[in-house]
Amino acid sequence: MSAVVTQATLASEPARATRGRRRGLRGAPVTRGLAHRQPAAAATYVAAVAFAALVVANPVQVAILLAFVVAVLALSGRLRESLPYVRIALAVGLFLAILNPLFSRGGLDVLWEADLGIVTITMTLQGIVYGVTTALRLTAVILAFALFNVALDPDDQLGLLSRFSFRSGLVLSLASRLFPVLSNDAGRIADAQRSRGVELDRGTRRERAAARVPLLSVLLTRSLERAVDVAAAMEARGYGGGRRSRWLHRRPWRAVDTALAGGGAIAAVALLGGLLTDAVAYDFYPLLDDPWTQLLDLWWLALLGALVVPAALTLRWDRR
Amino acid sequence: MTSIARLDRVTYTYPGAPRPALRGVSLAIEPAEVILVLGGSGSGKSTLLRALNGLVPHFHGGTFAGRVTVDEFDTRTARPHDLAHRVGLVFQDPENQAVMTTVEREIAFGLENLGVESRAITRLVEEALISLGLSRLRHAPLAELSGGELQKVALAAVIAVQPHLLLLDEPTSQLDPVSSEELLAAIRRLSEDTGATIVLAEHRVERCLHLATRVLFMEDGVVVVDAPPQEFASWAVTGHRELLPPVARLFARRLNGQAAAHAESGRLPMTVKDARHMLDLVEDRSPQRHAVASEAVPGDVVLETRRLAVGYAKDDALLEDVGLRLRRGELVALMGENGAGKSTLVKHFNGLLAPLRGTVHLLGRDVADLSVAEAARSCALLGQNPNDYFVRESVADEIDYTLAQLELDGRRRNELAGRIVEELDLAGLLERDPRALSGGERTRVALAAVACGDPALVVLDEPTRGMDPTHKLELAATLRRWTADGRCVVVVTHDVEFAARCANRVVVLGDGGVLADGPAAEVLNGSLFFSTQVNRLLRHALPGILHEDEVEWGMSPQ
Repeated sequence: MSAVVTQATLASEPARATRGRRRGLRGAPVTRGLAHRQPAAAATYVAAVAFAALVVANPVQVAILLAFVVAVLALSGRLRESLPYVRIALAVGLFLAILNPLFSRGGLDVLWEADLGIVTITMTLQGIVYGVTTALRLTAVILAFALFNVALDPDDQLGLLSRFSFRSGLVLSLASRLFPVLSNDAGRIADAQRSRGVELDRGTRRERAAARVPLLSVLLTRSLERAVDVAAAMEARGYGGGRRSRWLHRRPWRAVDTALAGGGAIAAVALLGGLLTDAVAYDFYPLLDDPWTQLLDLWWLALLGALVVPAALTLRWDRR
Repeated sequence: MTSIARLDRVTYTYPGAPRPALRGVSLAIEPAEVILVLGGSGSGKSTLLRALNGLVPHFHGGTFAGRVTVDEFDTRTARPHDLAHRVGLVFQDPENQAVMTTVEREIAFGLENLGVESRAITRLVEEALISLGLSRLRHAPLAELSGGELQKVALAAVIAVQPHLLLLDEPTSQLDPVSSEELLAAIRRLSEDTGATIVLAEHRVERCLHLATRVLFMEDGVVVVDAPPQEFASWAVTGHRELLPPVARLFARRLNGQAAAHAESGRLPMTVKDARHMLDLVEDRSPQRHAVASEAVPGDVVLETRRLAVGYAKDDALLEDVGLRLRRGELVALMGENGAGKSTLVKHFNGLLAPLRGTVHLLGRDVADLSVAEAARSCALLGQNPNDYFVRESVADEIDYTLAQLELDGRRRNELAGRIVEELDLAGLLERDPRALSGGERTRVALAAVACGDPALVVLDEPTRGMDPTHKLELAATLRRWTADGRCVVVVTHDVEFAARCANRVVVLGDGGVLADGPAAEVLNGSLFFSTQVNRLLRHALPGILHEDEVEWGMSPQ
């Protein structure tokens, strides 16, 4: 056999272009929307959004809030990353939306009734609206957490939490790495088993699940080993030894950060005001309150302005 | 001279371990020393490094006796983070030490932990980036870096802190020859320019013995040898020649009984440069080609790829137009820089990945028509991490589990199990938990788990990573036996010396395709980096010679 040696310079143009494109990805990270803002500013703002999602009860206001969170995620270019959160939210929300109308009995506008002998199911307009609103609220709360991950990259989260608790920072750092690493490990372990002849992809769903059970112990062992290694590396590099400094060189505090922090603070004050005056309250039973009148309440307008204006400023800043 | 670190009668046992990882170790480490720590898997090298920065015992727990001091700090009271500004540790696996998401923030992490003020961090990060040639990657996400780049970032992150004592645990084990040379050059520069003390644990002695001012050899938790390189060479030459660089072994053969004396007086070469100089001095005898039994002629085609394009996106192929024919009796080393696509390519051999374009035929059947489990009957693939394979409680059960998947009758199963146990010398390990074995043993067990069904093609991805020289020789012998028995073996490796010792064909990947494909002696001959020490020394006089076993010393022509 004779050696066939070609020179790198003879490589096909497409191959070289491909490599060039891959290298091109390594430039400065893209910062859009809330991503890569000052951690404290972004955290204040996102905390206000989550607070609002938990407190607001009016179905129309909840829907507006949810639409706002989705819009911010989309405009930040991170909606696709948030899909896992959306799936969880939809699954749980749908469950609540279906279950609540079947078993709540408080509403007066009866739409459908069925006597099943042991139990009578009464479906009311109020029950349906309450179920759907709860589902939307839950979705908004879950997406607010997705927004937290968008607004604060893991490095910022670690820096922020470490100021209060080294242990929490360590746990967060390990947890934020856990899901992508677990996903990679699971794929590799499954490939290793397939490579020794284990059929993981044939048979009924139950058979496929049973074939994968032995993999879980390997996965657990690997993730624990990895977590121990990262924790050892962090401690060896001085983590947990005392007050950390923060490297601000690459991220100066800008006007948009002030807007975000200010917006978050104003939103929190508006919500507290609404809670103290009971203005945020909304009654579903026995009859639905008028959902439209609350849209002109001062606390709601302040909340909306405090959330929308900084988000708009941030997106505009990115386009400069 | 005041020692920078000192170990006094240190004995340490990991929690639940049956015996100590360190036993009565006493050492004094002086400023500006470069100490190379050698020893087999499980000999205590990594534990020694971890004792020097306090991870042992503070992080790992266990039973600790004796005393370790670094500067004025006693590690019994000082925790690792108290020592972080004095001692830097670069771990074996760069992926498991990265904390942040981008290069510059990873480098800044240690400085932030030490409370360094922001402007100083900017300067120190910049210096670390420049010193390791990482400036163009400053914003790059760590997830996108190759193993070599990631290891350089880990080193940059440690040197940014400017520690007095730098501990490196097999830093080149995952790197291709080029990246290894770059990393070791950076370490040498660091030592020369800053006077930092360096303790380097490594298996690939040919890469770093010449950097060392002192060598420790550990065995079973004990420091057996602690000497300058010449003295170490003098000791190794009488009974532990596998610990010497190939050129030193070559000259030791010539010197026979006088080798130890030559080594002690610094006349046993450790580098190609020294060896070339030595070659000029020895006039009476010259290296000549040793007659080697001719290789068996390759047999039938086991696997064939036609116009194969591989990658993770249709418009972004990693390799294009790959056409390979692998035959029975061939032992093929698949080489190339980190990220060249070696591991990706071999995952197409058993259908773990589907081609972007082109086909793969295994024993005449298109792999696309087979499930991976079906392909596994003919093609065994051992990935980089043996731990991914272990799902049973004992070595015997692991082998039995694979054979059970093949649906063979009991007699055939027993026959195959007996054969693989004998071939890989596993008889003494059958009842052991595979996860509790040493690195080299785990690789052998995982190899048994994938290859026990007598497949025609066996593919191993970086099997020598972290493997000591003795186990490498054993593995090379096993793989050669398999090819002699009519199997085809493919080894993905960065370890040129290992490839030269066992492969009869070398395929080099790079720049999106196959750069070279041919007999090992032709492909490895004349390459700058993908070449052995002995070849670099003798390539003009004896072209195609790759290792010292192919050389004999004869009388020089007058």
